[in-house]
Amino acid sequence: MIETPETDKAFKKQIKTSLEKDFLRKTLNNFFTSYRQSRGNVFADLDLEGMREDVACMKDAGIPNLSELFDEFKKNAEAAGSIVHVARDAEEANCIIAQIAKENQVKSIVKSKSMTAEETFLNDHLEKDGYEVVETDLGEWIIQMRHEGPSHMVMPAIHLSRYQVGDLFSDVTAKKQDPENIEGLVKVARKELRPKFIGADMGISGCNFAIADSGVIGLVTNEGNARLTTTLPRVHVALMGFDKLVQDYSSAVKILKILPRNATGQALTSYVTWIKGTNECATAPEEKKIQHMVFIDNGRLELAKDPIFSQALRCIRCGACANVCPIYRMVGGHTFGHVYIGAIGLILTPFFHGKEKAREIVKCCLNCQSCKAVCPSKIDLPFLIKNVYAKIQDEDGGKPFKTRMTSMLLKNRRLFHTALKTASKMQGPATDGPYIRHLPTFLMGEHNFRRLPAIADRSLRDDWKYVKPKVKNPKIKVALFGGCAGDFIYPEHGKAFAKLCEAYNISVDYPMDQTCCGLPTMMMAQMDTAKEIALQNVKAFKSGDYDYIVTLCASCGSHIKENFPKLLTKKGAVPADVQAMADKLIDFSSFMNDVVKVKAEDFMNLGRKVTYHYPCHLIRGLGVEEAPMALLEKAGVDFKACDESQVCCGFSGSFSVDFPMISKTMLDHKLDNVSATGATTLVTDCPGCTLQLKGGIKARGMNVTVKHMAEVLLEEKK
Amino acid sequence: MSQGEIIESMRARAEKAAAVVSSAATLEEAIAYAVNLTAEEGGTTLAAPGMDDAAREALGKACGEKGITLLDSPLRDKMTRIHTAFTWADRGIADTGTLVLNSNSEELRLATMLSETHVAVLPTDKVVPSMDELEGYMTDHFKNGAGYVAFITGPSRTADIERILTIGVHGPERLHILLAENLDGGEK
Repeated sequence: MIETPETDKAFKKQIKTSLEKDFLRKTLNNFFTSYRQSRGNVFADLDLEGMREDVACMKDAGIPNLSELFDEFKKNAEAAGSIVHVARDAEEANCIIAQIAKENQVKSIVKSKSMTAEETFLNDHLEKDGYEVVETDLGEWIIQMRHEGPSHMVMPAIHLSRYQVGDLFSDVTAKKQDPENIEGLVKVARKELRPKFIGADMGISGCNFAIADSGVIGLVTNEGNARLTTTLPRVHVALMGFDKLVQDYSSAVKILKILPRNATGQALTSYVTWIKGTNECATAPEEKKIQHMVFIDNGRLELAKDPIFSQALRCIRCGACANVCPIYRMVGGHTFGHVYIGAIGLILTPFFHGKEKAREIVKCCLNCQSCKAVCPSKIDLPFLIKNVYAKIQDEDGGKPFKTRMTSMLLKNRRLFHTALKTASKMQGPATDGPYIRHLPTFLMGEHNFRRLPAIADRSLRDDWKYVKPKVKNPKIKVALFGGCAGDFIYPEHGKAFAKLCEAYNISVDYPMDQTCCGLPTMMMAQMDTAKEIALQNVKAFKSGDYDYIVTLCASCGSHIKENFPKLLTKKGAVPADVQAMADKLIDFSSFMNDVVKVKAEDFMNLGRKVTYHYPCHLIRGLGVEEAPMALLEKAGVDFKACDESQVCCGFSGSFSVDFPMISKTMLDHKLDNVSATGATTLVTDCPGCTLQLKGGIKARGMNVTVKHMAEVLLEEKK
Repeated sequence: MSQGEIIESMRARAEKAAAVVSSAATLEEAIAYAVNLTAEEGGTTLAAPGMDDAAREALGKACGEKGITLLDSPLRDKMTRIHTAFTWADRGIADTGTLVLNSNSEELRLATMLSETHVAVLPTDKVVPSMDELEGYMTDHFKNGAGYVAFITGPSRTADIERILTIGVHGPERLHILLAENLDGGEK
């Protein structure tokens, strides 16, 4: 049985339990690392971006026409003897399949893997009707016998150890099975399931693509059970969502080229099975297979019309969004998802299984962009997750108090900034240098894994008139987007930037009407507030004649560049001033390296040992990888490469406050990796990461200094 | 890409997918390979759906000499005792090392799905660079109603227990490909 927490308390409890499972942690850690490697290898000589674009375009062309594709498929499949059904929802799909079983005097059923059948809880329905249903995919068979749901779309039993499988198989065979002999365990499945295939009256399969112009379905598998399921029994039922429809063979090939590579790092699975109509079957009447195709809607056709969510139907079920997700890595699929797990699971759950099942899990997203970067059909998963979160809040009416307060405060810049200044004065007795002192435990709770920074005595904007570079005849004119953390917590970042600009003859403005970029409100799914704040910022920067808008905060940068246009699109078009702001926006490292083109001879060589942390919103949000490396090389530091330098530090703004246990574990990984480099300076390009990293280093008492790239360049500058 | 390079890619990719790739100059050589392999593995049966009468006769003889039973149709009666499946492959896909088998025949499906070892003869002139080039083949195949096509890349595999790659779950545990330069199984 799948039990998905529906309250905050239950969800946090489940997270805690998951984090304490040693085997799960170890196996998912290994998977996290090895998946990246094998995926990298299998795409090494291929045009991955082109392949992703192909799939996204092909799916986008099909999604508005699913009904037409269905009609064409039905005509072709029925001409070849298949019977094609439409089920409006899960219950109807299950009833149709049960009816097919009844009409054909079926007793026993074998099943090959189908996420759609998991979606409809088909087995429960058929078993209730008295049929014997046996899952034949090894992983599915294991979890079926354990009465669990899949914890991964492609590897349903990834959460189980060989010992757990060994015990289970010892019970099944009434004979002690050696858990260390995995090949032996696999042979148990081969031996035990053969008679099931041979004795079954009906086989149920899923479907990876349904080709409209031929009526052919395709199954992508490794074990060979889908071939047996579709061959041995006299009845075959294929269950699939409308989203599996594609136009033609070449569309299917686009999926086929990327699906196994992205799912498991295989160029192709062992088997791809293409089936059309009523094939030869000696045990069926007239020696022709009884063949049924069941298409389930379950909200898909409505989804297809939604301007934001329709892209969720591009999903080809490769499971990669879980493979790269730092949260999945920590807690696994039984906690991070309902039936569908991972990023796509957070999005599909409310549509397929109701908002109750999604309400808690949908909050649990770092917006680290890892899933989006790996998605083979380029679904904007983090953005859709925030929109799902917003939708659920809207439907629920009433937003949480904290959310309403934040929203109200952030919409009013003066009020917000006054509040920050007041806080800076009030915190005096509670601070310890730049950190907040240990707070009473009822306030700190699980947050003592890092020391929180104090708000600076004087913000960047307070001091701007002294800081502003004195430049005559500037060669470049820029505006600085400070961001809240850059303005009020780490004004030294902006000051370093100003000094560098003065040295390179660049004028810098700091438009005083700028405010929070609004990303925190989007993280809380306050889309209306996010829009309002975005507009305020566009207005603040609109009048200046700037060549670039530079930001030292990768998160603000990526939010402005990517989300402003999405949030402020009007009637399908992005207003010119919004686009102009997005176009002019550049992150600090890219600005210094690609625009200013700083040179190695500009810097002293202090030889300090440096490592680097890539902010999520720099590497994936803004797609910047080389600039920081080039700058560090020019600065002449002794660079120490860090493992997982591109993996999230666990900050993600309010995420780290809402889910401290996950944030802590991620920070632990990060700092262990930093420690292993032997570097004494950790450089990054985002004040948010700085906050998390500094806080963790201080709490651990590590001898590592965290610096923004701007500070390092200034210190190294001749 | 020259046909030679295509064949080399076919060989390399198939081997990477854990298939054993060898060559056969004549049908007799291919038959001898399949029969000897069966005997070496301790198998006592061989099924060869899709072979013409001449090939079946030669197979029967070769099997007889090694004490191996050449299974007759229908294979439904013998599903639990097919050691080797000996078949033609209709196409090869070089960049993934894949065999393409017209599997409309239930006999062929039973043999290639239930056997322990699958030996497939692949005429080298039927190897194409990638799946893209199979569009015509697939369209032709399915234009007249029902059909079943199998793409086979290496032996059956799983990684469902602790992600450890294990060969031979439900399908053949071994896949042997015999590249045949001068042979042709004909379109089926």
